[in-house]
Amino acid sequence: MADSSWRCARCDEALTARKTVFTYLGQSFTHEVLRCPKCGRVLIPPELARGKMAEVEEQLEDK
Amino acid sequence: MKLEDALAFTEKCFNGEPASCSFACPFHLDIRAFLDKAEKGKWASAYKALESAVAFPLTVSLLCDAPCEHHCQRVQLGDEPIAMTMLEAAVVRYAGSKRARRYVIPPKEGRVAIVGAGAAGLACALGLARKRISVTVFEREPEYGGALRRHPRFAEMSGDIKLQFEAVDAEFCFGREIKSLGELADYNAVYVATGAGGEHFGLLDGWKDDAFTGGADGVFLGGELTGASVVEGIARGGAAAQSIEAFLQVGRVTRLHGGYDREGCERYVAHDGAARAPRVTPSSPDGYTEDEAIREAARCLQCDCDRCMTSCEMLRAFRKRPHKIATEVYTDQNANPPYSSHTLTRETYSCNMCGYCKSVCPEGVDIGALLRLSRAQRMSAGKEPAALHDFWLREMDFNSGEAALCEPPPGAQTCEYVFFPGCQLGASNPEHVRGAYGLLRSAGGGAGIYLGCCGAPAWWAGDDKRFMANFAAIRRNWENMGRPVFVFACATCAGVFDAFAPDIRSVSLYELLDDREVAGHAGELTRAVVFDPCSARARDGMRAAVRGLLRRAGIRTEELADRGRCCGYGGQMRVANPKLFDEIVNSRASMSDEPYIVYCANCREVFASHGKRCAHVLDVALGLKPQERVPSISEKRRNSLSLKEEFMMSDRDARPYRAASAWDAVTLIIDGRLREDMDRNLISEDDVREAIFSAEESGDVFVDAGDGTRMCSMVKPVLTYWARYRCVSRDTYEVLDAYYHRMRFESNSQS
Repeated sequence: MADSSWRCARCDEALTARKTVFTYLGQSFTHEVLRCPKCGRVLIPPELARGKMAEVEEQLEDK
Repeated sequence: MKLEDALAFTEKCFNGEPASCSFACPFHLDIRAFLDKAEKGKWASAYKALESAVAFPLTVSLLCDAPCEHHCQRVQLGDEPIAMTMLEAAVVRYAGSKRARRYVIPPKEGRVAIVGAGAAGLACALGLARKRISVTVFEREPEYGGALRRHPRFAEMSGDIKLQFEAVDAEFCFGREIKSLGELADYNAVYVATGAGGEHFGLLDGWKDDAFTGGADGVFLGGELTGASVVEGIARGGAAAQSIEAFLQVGRVTRLHGGYDREGCERYVAHDGAARAPRVTPSSPDGYTEDEAIREAARCLQCDCDRCMTSCEMLRAFRKRPHKIATEVYTDQNANPPYSSHTLTRETYSCNMCGYCKSVCPEGVDIGALLRLSRAQRMSAGKEPAALHDFWLREMDFNSGEAALCEPPPGAQTCEYVFFPGCQLGASNPEHVRGAYGLLRSAGGGAGIYLGCCGAPAWWAGDDKRFMANFAAIRRNWENMGRPVFVFACATCAGVFDAFAPDIRSVSLYELLDDREVAGHAGELTRAVVFDPCSARARDGMRAAVRGLLRRAGIRTEELADRGRCCGYGGQMRVANPKLFDEIVNSRASMSDEPYIVYCANCREVFASHGKRCAHVLDVALGLKPQERVPSISEKRRNSLSLKEEFMMSDRDARPYRAASAWDAVTLIIDGRLREDMDRNLISEDDVREAIFSAEESGDVFVDAGDGTRMCSMVKPVLTYWARYRCVSRDTYEVLDAYYHRMRFESNSQS
């Protein structure tokens, strides 16, 4: 899956990597993910959800 | 919750307490630690431990008659006790440099006079001097030693004593006899150890064994003067030094017991499976060689109760001792990340809460109950990691809501019995509920049906509020049905009712079927092992009935050596610790090569999903072919709803048996591999259907410009679900991937 080929169907815009605020268990941090430049909707690819995100989620749960 | 509330759970746990030998030792030497060092050949380290406890290591090794040996637990195995005296001598011999340690601490206030430079007086003087308390020893003879001087090896003892005093400051006044305590008026405390029959200044009659005092303020007595042996005198001299130090600080006499709150050890540890080992005989009359001493020290069983930690995979994996767990349950409730961290989260949520730790503990300590309290505390404080129990709480809400049904028999408002199969039996295999209810009804007596959830998922999640609300609804329904007897197919449900509604009478389905001598059908099973669920550990009647049913069907059953273990499902710890979950399930599945017969729908599901051949006892009772596969999450929901629909009485069929959803018309194509992955990750087809439907309706979809595949997300209260899919035709989609994450992102945050 080539991330750069994803488009927002509603806005008909190509998604671009932008900083996004994430929160979990009361803690916040920022990370660059694909978003629609117009409406701001975020796309989380599976490898991010199953990889880095899951890892950080577990770390925060253990804190 | 106060700290005491958490500690109360482990109050009776004696893990970490001194061993029986240490209780018997006049010096309360930590013999386990001493022998552990000796076993590793760490002679210097073992010597330091000895020196610290007994004041004069060589002297004590020559004099002590080793009362510890009478309390060595090796004797329980039929062996001789550990040869402590010879090991002490070996440690002294092989320790190398024995330079006494010098304590770098500031001097303390107060002056102490010691009357008598015998073994007891010297021990007390050394104890005080090590604490940098000013001490003066008065001795009427021209030399120290007292009764020790008569010992044939006094020369060696003298060297030992000198060695210790070289490292401390102590004043000795030899040839000075104290005839009256008035001579010592300048001292803040006095220790009188004038030997057997020596001067006691009229205080011996008032002498108290527990505080070493004789009635006069600040005057302490000890040694052979008080009837102690020489070794006891040395031990008590050291203990008296601690009492004197406390007296100087607070002006009161207190007995410091150093963790020994009683005279002897009352609790010996079971040493099941420990191998016998004969005492090592020294090859030389001089004592052990280094190798012999190491081998003899290795015979120590290191007696300490760790039954729970060696029996339970979870406790073994986290390696935390019960008292520490209790303390952390308390501290975790006040943790406030990122300023302070929780330290017990993963362990708290990895527990099966099966009660096995309690069953193996000689004192019945229940770590599972303690960890459940931790879950409840965190839930009530809003600090729970919600994702770890979200799936089961949603399923519970479904089972107690949309899929619930409480129905008296046709034409009746009340009933004598009501069959409560539990939420998973019918979900897993509706034939079990259908068949069992049929048998109950065919026997007459008017049995109603109650499809619902007992609330165990909420209890395990620590969601007491949800649990109590669910149980209040059950109680209302019970009242409305004329207070029938509950018939349980699930031992967990039975346990919940026992604990929270002891007034509701109940019986297990298996006992009813056994009483009615249901014949059953063995099918292909001629031989099997009965795997009792952990929740049936104390349910003798249920366990016997299951065996009765199997016997009647002609199945030869075998018993597991270790019964009542949790299959892995308990406590719903699978999301919190998937690796440990698999380890536990595989461990239980391999307890026997024979197929299992279970009587818990969760046990069946867990074993079947891990490739273990098993059947439910209702397969036998009802003559059904055992299921091999586990239904998917959505199939289970459909099974529950189909039972509800079937049991709803025709004269009331105006009621909708389920809530219709707008996405019902959506058809999903999911290949087997993805379906397995979804089930393993507890993602239901219904959630994916809802996500795709909602996204397609709203247009909130991402499209891959390359291959045309689409992606959408659905934010639920705890998890955010994602699906990648392809449109096949109107309302039909091929799902290519489905996953979730627990974090939230802010859609409006723009860079």
